[in-house]
Amino acid sequence: MDFKLNLLAAALVLGFSSSAMAADPIKIGVAGPFTGGSAPMGVSMRDGVKLAVADINAKGGVLGRQLQIVERDDEAKPERGVQIAQELINKEKVVATVGYINTGVALASQRFYQEAKIPVMNNVATGSIITKQFADKPENYIFRNAANDQIQSQMIIQEAVDNRKFKKVAILADSTNYGQLGREDLEKALDKKGMKAVATEKYNIKDVDMTAQLLKAKQAGAEVVLTYGIGPELAQIANGMEKLNWKVPMIGSWTLSMGNFIDNAGKNGNGTRMPQTFIQEPTTPKRKAFIDAYVKAYNPPGGRMPSPVSAAQGYDSIYLLAAAIKQANSTEGPKIKAALENLNEKIDGVVTSYNKPFSKDNHEAITADITVFGEVKDGKVVPVK
Amino acid sequence: MFLTVVDIMEILLQLIFSGIALGMIYAVIAFGYQLTFATSGTLNFGQGESLMLGALVGLSLVGTIHGGPYMSYLLMIPLVIIFGALQGMFVEWIGVRPAIKIKSEFGWIMSTIALAIIFKNVAENIWGKDDLTFPSPLSSTPFQVFGANVQPMQVAVIVGALAIMAAVEIFNRKSIYGKAVVATSNDRDAAGLMGINTSMVITFSYALSSATAAFAGVLVAPLTLTGATMGASLGLKAFAVAIIGGLTSGVGAIVGGLILGITETAAGYYISTGYKDVPGLLLLLLVLAVKPSGLFGKAAIKKV
Repeated sequence: MDFKLNLLAAALVLGFSSSAMAADPIKIGVAGPFTGGSAPMGVSMRDGVKLAVADINAKGGVLGRQLQIVERDDEAKPERGVQIAQELINKEKVVATVGYINTGVALASQRFYQEAKIPVMNNVATGSIITKQFADKPENYIFRNAANDQIQSQMIIQEAVDNRKFKKVAILADSTNYGQLGREDLEKALDKKGMKAVATEKYNIKDVDMTAQLLKAKQAGAEVVLTYGIGPELAQIANGMEKLNWKVPMIGSWTLSMGNFIDNAGKNGNGTRMPQTFIQEPTTPKRKAFIDAYVKAYNPPGGRMPSPVSAAQGYDSIYLLAAAIKQANSTEGPKIKAALENLNEKIDGVVTSYNKPFSKDNHEAITADITVFGEVKDGKVVPVK
Repeated sequence: MFLTVVDIMEILLQLIFSGIALGMIYAVIAFGYQLTFATSGTLNFGQGESLMLGALVGLSLVGTIHGGPYMSYLLMIPLVIIFGALQGMFVEWIGVRPAIKIKSEFGWIMSTIALAIIFKNVAENIWGKDDLTFPSPLSSTPFQVFGANVQPMQVAVIVGALAIMAAVEIFNRKSIYGKAVVATSNDRDAAGLMGINTSMVITFSYALSSATAAFAGVLVAPLTLTGATMGASLGLKAFAVAIIGGLTSGVGAIVGGLILGITETAAGYYISTGYKDVPGLLLLLLVLAVKPSGLFGKAAIKKV
C-alpha cells in the first residue's frame, strides 16, 4: 500500500516536472460566433487562425515556444462575450486575444482586456468606434486588421453615387449595433455628397417579411438599396424584392459575401456588390497557397470558403501578433502593445503586406486602398472588373 | 413624392396580401392551440416548435441536406403530418397527462415549455443552428392581382391553411370519433360517464394539434428560411391570435390571424418598421381588457 502510494507520488512529481521542463506554450484567445447567423464569419476566422498557428508552430513557434489557441463561441451575444473575456483573461491567462465578429460583442467585451492590459486584435468586426473605445486613455490595447465601417460606407457611397450615378438611394439596416452604426456611417458619407437617403428602414434579426420596408423604398423611387446587416436577413431582402417584382441593385457592407446570403438568396443575389479585403481568387502565390491550404484542411462544401474575408483576416491577425511578440521578446501585454505600435518587420500577409501597420494613434491596419469591390455571381464572389 | 389614388390602392392591396399570407399561418397555429384547449383545458406552449420540427423533417425529406431529395413536396406532406401527430402525442404523454391526472392547474404550462426548449435543442443538434433554404415546390415568380404582386406559394399557404382547418372541422362534426372530441370538449366528465375514453380523446387532440402545426411548418418554410429558432416567434404571435380571436372559436382564429397579420405589415409601412409589432399587441391588450374571452369566444362560467 505504502509502496503504491509512493509510486503514485513519484509519478505525479515526475509528471509535473517534465511538463515544466518543456517551454510552456503561448496561449492566444480566439473569440467569435461559431454558431448562428454570424457563424460563417466566425468559423472561417477561426479556421484561418488555426492555419496561421499551425504554420508558425511548424517553423518552431515564437520565442522558442509553441502557440496554443483557446477558442470560445460567443454566439454573437454580448453577454457571452463578456463571460468569455473574463474566462480567457483570469482562468486561461491568455497573452492576447484575436477575434470578434460582431461589433456589439467587441464593444461589450474588450474593456476587460483594456483593464488587464492585454492586447485585442479585432480581425473581423467593423464598427468604426471599436478601436476608438479607449482612444482617450493613455494606453489603448485595441487593434484591428479589418476594413472598418467608415472605410466601407465611403466606398459603398462612392460606388453607388459616383461610379454608378444613382440619384435616389434607400438604406436598409438591421437593428443591431452593427446595422445601426453602419447606417450612421452611410448617412454621414451621403451627407458629404450633399445627399440624403430617400428611405431609411430598419428590420430585426430573424424577420421573415420585408414587404413594408421594401415597399417604402420602392414608393420613394429608390434606384439602389444599400444594406447593413448579416447574411440570412440580407437574403430575405433580396428574396423580398422578387416577391414585390421590384429589382434594383443591392450594394452593401462586406457581409453580402457571406455564404448564408449567397445560398439563401440564390439567383436573387446575383449582381450584389460589397467591399472586400480578400476574394477567394489565387491572384498571388501567397493567396494561392492560403486558399489551397484552407480548402485542403477544412474541405468546405463546393470548395467555397464560408467567408473568405474572415479567414484571410484571421490568418493575418496571428502573424501580426506573432511578429509583435517576437519583437517584444516578451509575452507581457504592455510590451506586445508597444511592439505592435512600432513593428519593424515587414509582414507578408494574405490580405496585404503590412509595413508599419499601426502607430500610437492609428490602430487600424486596413486602409481604403487595400479594399476592393466584389460581386456575387452564380454562387460565389468574384472581383469587379 | 405624389401618389395617385391607384398607387395608394396598389400599396394597400400589396400590404393586405402579404398580411393575409402571414395571418393564415398564425391562424393555423392558433387553431392548434384551440384544439387541445377544447378537450382538456390545456395548451401546448411548444406549438411553435411543433411547426419548426415539421418544417425541418420536411426539409430532410425534400431537400438535399440529408442525402435527399427522397420524394416530392406533395408526397412529403402526409409523412410530415404523421410525424407531427406522433410528436403531439409524445408531448401529451410526457408533459400534459401527468398534470391532468393530479388535477394540477399549472403543471402543464412549465412542462410544455420545457419540452419546447428540449425540442429546439434537439433540432439544433440534428439540423444545426443555421437557417436553411427550403426548396419551393412552386415558381417564386410573382403574378399580378390588381397591380399587387403575389407569389404562387403565398396563395398555396392561404389555401392550405384553410383546407387543413376545414378538414379538422368536418372530421369533428361528421365522424363518430370527431363527435367524441366535441362531446369531451362540451363536458369532459359527462362524456366520460357516457363511455367515451376521454383521456384518449385528449391524446388525439394533441396529435391533431401538432399535426396541423407541422403542416403549417412545411407550408410557410418555402417563403421564409427554415431553422431551429423559426418556431419561437411564430408560436408566440399565434398565441396572441388565439387570445384575440377567442380560444373556443375556429372563425376567431382565422379572423384574429388576419387582423394581426395585416396590422403587422400595414403598421410596418404606415407607422414605422421599428414599431410593426406594437399595434397588434395593443389590440391584444384591448381585447383582454374589454372582452377577455376573445372577439368570438364564449365566456366560460366557472362554478366554484
